[in-house]
Amino acid sequence: MTNFHPDLDLITEYTAGSLPLTQSACVSLHISHCRRCQGIAGQLSDLGASLFEALEPAPVGDAQLNAVLARLDEEVPLSYARTSKDTSNTPAILQRLMRGDFSDLSWKNIGSTLRISYLQAGDPQHELAIYHFNAGGRIPEHTHRGSEMTLILQGGFSDAHGSYHKGDFLVRRQGDVHAPTALQSEDCICLVVLDAPLKFIDWKFRWMNPFLKLRTV
Amino acid sequence: MLTVTDKFDDETDSQVEPSGKRTDEWSECLTLIGKHEDRAAFTRLFRHFAPLMKAFALSGSTLSANNADELVQEVMLKVWQKAGAFNAEKAAASTWIYTIARNSRTDLFRRLQKFDTPLSADDVSGSQESEEAFMVLHQKRGRDRIRALINELPNDQAQILAKVYMEGKSHSEVAGELDIPLGTVKSRVRLALQKLQIRFED
Repeated sequence: MTNFHPDLDLITEYTAGSLPLTQSACVSLHISHCRRCQGIAGQLSDLGASLFEALEPAPVGDAQLNAVLARLDEEVPLSYARTSKDTSNTPAILQRLMRGDFSDLSWKNIGSTLRISYLQAGDPQHELAIYHFNAGGRIPEHTHRGSEMTLILQGGFSDAHGSYHKGDFLVRRQGDVHAPTALQSEDCICLVVLDAPLKFIDWKFRWMNPFLKLRTV
Repeated sequence: MLTVTDKFDDETDSQVEPSGKRTDEWSECLTLIGKHEDRAAFTRLFRHFAPLMKAFALSGSTLSANNADELVQEVMLKVWQKAGAFNAEKAAASTWIYTIARNSRTDLFRRLQKFDTPLSADDVSGSQESEEAFMVLHQKRGRDRIRALINELPNDQAQILAKVYMEGKSHSEVAGELDIPLGTVKSRVRLALQKLQIRFED
């Protein structure tokens, strides 16, 4: 059971399909583990369906119907057989973005406690990355130039605002300052979506600020 | 063990709309398509839903008429191909079909913007099916309530919901388009959801 959830505004945009791809991925991973959010996402999808059914129909001719009827014998794309159930420890969405598992990713070390692996999600406005912090490791104090969405995939961390565990979903907004510390018991792995680079406040890391760029490949 | 059946029996039976049409006609069609590849059922479904899909595709007028026609064909073909996975006991036909239309439109927007991504909207949209019988009944009551209350929303709230859900615009895009503060968009959406009694259940 998770304690930190996306807010109603985010789940509304998520169910309406207007959330950017990487943010949708992050929200969807939370929802797959959270009955509370599944419930509201279901109600909001029903709302979308009610609005859809109430639309003023736009005429569609028989030519269109015949064109579809003529295609019904086409081979069904293999991807339709994909299941949404997780069969391994790595969630299905991440399997599609990674070759192998977390240990096969290529990592960039940031200091001695944090390493980051950037995923190629193809969202031009957002960076999607996996952060790995060593157990007990502290991330230097930093602030946000934009928004940061975090989903905890393994372990947990704490900061001045609280303590977060697997499945918890957090949003930090522009100007929020924090210095998260991974729980002592195990390494912490998070999925992080950024729409602007971080900015370190900690003097030892400030030199990096001009070099921090979004990696949105 | 399901012990709530009796209590909810009257609500699980198919209901009759003023038009005389049974509201679960479309689940029956989907089931016939999924189990028997029934083309007549598909044709009925097409005649009802394709015009709604076209209206949905044209909402917000960002897609050309050609793109809208392509989308209608693509969605209807997907409905045919995926119908085998439709479970009338777990999902409402309208929500199931709307979800395919919504995801296909999102993917089309991304293709038109030349996104190069290994993820499809389906990958990140999860399943709307409930596993437990109680939740299924609960959701059905929720749907009936939403349908009944939706026409009572004040215009400004109905307009915003249409932009968010039918036009697929983010809250900040809606704010920009209507030239109102983002906070106003969010509060109108939240007020509308309150009126429809859509809320977190702890």
